[in-house]
Amino acid sequence: MPNRLLNIWLIARREYVERIRTKGFLIATILIPTLMGGGMFGAAELAAKSQTASHIVVLTAQAQPAQDLKHELEHGKDSKMTVEILPLATPHADLDQKMKEKQLDGYLVIEPVAEAGQRPEFDFTPRSTADIATTTAIEEALHRVLIREYLAGKGLSSAQADALLAPVKLNLLGKNGERGNSRTAFLVAYVLFFLMYMVVLLYGMNVARSIIEEKTSRVFEVLLATIQPEELLAGKILGVGAVGLTQVGIWMIAFGLLAAQMGATSGVQISLGQVIYFVVYFSLGYALYSAVAAALGAMTNSEQELQQLNMFLMLPLFFSILMLTPVVTNPNSVLSRIVSQIPFCAPLLMNLRVSLSMPQPWEIALSIGLILVTIYAVLWVSSRIYRVGILMYGKKPNLPEILRWMKYS
Amino acid sequence: MPIVELNKIRKVYDTKVAVEGLSLTMEPGTMFGLLGPNGSGKTSTIRMLIGMTMPDSGSVRLFERPLQREMLNRVGYLPEERGLYKKMKVLDQLVFLGQLHGLSEAVAKERSLAWCERIQITEAIGKKTEDLSKGMQQKIQFIAALLHDPELVIMDEPFSGLDPVNAELLLNTLVDLRREGKTVMFSTHRMDQVERMCDAIALISRGRLVLSGSMREVKARYPRNRVQVIFSGDDGFLGHPEVEEAKNYAGLADLKLYHEAGAQQVLAEAVARGTVVHKFEVKEPTLEEIFIEQVRASFGVEEAGVSANA
Repeated sequence: MPNRLLNIWLIARREYVERIRTKGFLIATILIPTLMGGGMFGAAELAAKSQTASHIVVLTAQAQPAQDLKHELEHGKDSKMTVEILPLATPHADLDQKMKEKQLDGYLVIEPVAEAGQRPEFDFTPRSTADIATTTAIEEALHRVLIREYLAGKGLSSAQADALLAPVKLNLLGKNGERGNSRTAFLVAYVLFFLMYMVVLLYGMNVARSIIEEKTSRVFEVLLATIQPEELLAGKILGVGAVGLTQVGIWMIAFGLLAAQMGATSGVQISLGQVIYFVVYFSLGYALYSAVAAALGAMTNSEQELQQLNMFLMLPLFFSILMLTPVVTNPNSVLSRIVSQIPFCAPLLMNLRVSLSMPQPWEIALSIGLILVTIYAVLWVSSRIYRVGILMYGKKPNLPEILRWMKYS
Repeated sequence: MPIVELNKIRKVYDTKVAVEGLSLTMEPGTMFGLLGPNGSGKTSTIRMLIGMTMPDSGSVRLFERPLQREMLNRVGYLPEERGLYKKMKVLDQLVFLGQLHGLSEAVAKERSLAWCERIQITEAIGKKTEDLSKGMQQKIQFIAALLHDPELVIMDEPFSGLDPVNAELLLNTLVDLRREGKTVMFSTHRMDQVERMCDAIALISRGRLVLSGSMREVKARYPRNRVQVIFSGDDGFLGHPEVEEAKNYAGLADLKLYHEAGAQQVLAEAVARGTVVHKFEVKEPTLEEIFIEQVRASFGVEEAGVSANA
């Protein structure tokens, strides 16, 4: 009936226009990518710079390996430590005292070897056993020092030893042999996954909140005098969803412009296919979660009450995040294929698989089909809960009451 | 032919019976008052009347046909709980609500502006709802109910919370609507308004219809056994055996008599005692008196007292 469509359109348009106009929308549009980008780059930077800067003492009788070790630890790949070399006879009590005063982070005792060619014993006393970075750095440095010593014994020059010990660089290639593509493809998949997670959660909650707002302000009473609850629900979900798509659209365009500006050197590319799949799975995921959220909103009277029920929305999303690593490490394993068919996880996980390694067409078709069926079922239940729930004020319903609501309508 | 016809409607929420076997009819072009104490089922009745909830049993007919959603474009509804979008501007809001009632954007806008002028809130047009006073918001809601020029206007407690000036303004608007041939129904517990304005009433208590009919019919059912006397001198006549109850406020007395005919005897007694009678008026009971009496009969004395004061 065109009348119904008109009502849905009016509700959706109001929802969209009023939301786009708010400052909140503007702030979220700017802040979310800034924080997300900042967070990811920050984490990457931090990981790169997490070099240990401990101050340790080496007690040894042999000067040369000790010097090598000092060099490794002070100028190594992962460490910027301060190393003092003291004679073996230095009393440990002094060092213990220094550690207590926090001037020292640990001391390493290199026991002299009984006969040549044997490995010496290394005893390390750290100030904190939790300082894994330092112990790992020392372990690796000692290993290199021993190799260096062995190579020197075999008559290799220091430059030759350096060349042998230099780290190997592995070039990751994409399917067409393009350089630097595979890693960024993974990065893009990862970003899209979290983007969808955040937007689905955010806008799902917005639907619930908007229902509660109409409930507390009693706008419902006026609206329901002319239109049906289903129209209201549909209009609301479409309107809020359109806001979400607008926001994602702005981000994607901004990202595209930024990438174009930075040129091909950035190596980050999103294919048109990825965008289309993202939009399809986002729309489906959003519709599913917002239908659940609508039921939650209709059941509750305030944001506080809503928060108690939030877990119904969060749990499947958390489960999807939990499945992120297994799916990323092996996108085509049996586990990945099964979890990416679960309707509540499929939008996130199937889309992730699409970005990583294209699944079979029937898998995509099946997942979309399953989501559509689930959306229909959830909407059926939600609209009934909604229809009765929105006119119930005051007390929060219990499960038997909710089940009775379904029978009502 | 009645424009509204409720036939034995019944609604139960969980274990509470909200409305029980209620039947009533409203004639076109009348002003109809739905009366009842708090929690008596007025709002539940109205909700069923406009199809917001379905009765568990019984039927609702509007415009001489079973209730259908399309009819609601011919009905204007003002809910008891006022509800407007807080952040929306007044004009946008009115246009939106008008469009939901099937108006085009242009017509909705034009009528909104005309109505704002008519009930004197032109200065509010560009403001957001949350910046307006409660009375203002109520007037906007009032407009929203009338924007689509409905034939049947249903208002749940339209005057509650309004100052006398604004209440009078809206009241006169409703009277104008009736003059234009519209049917107006409103619920209230302000008896004086109903008595003045309504052609017909229905009184419900505890979900049941206690009393209904045209104002004249209802009143005719009660004897003209009330007397107001203004006098000076001896008040001994107040003890006449025909007097059932007398309230004497120093020179002004309200009497309730056992029989309609008793009035003359009481007057004779007063004259015989030499009391100076300035005014002696035989009256029918006021609606308020009928209301309290009926509600008491259905309820219990204390509760009726509380509701009547509310």
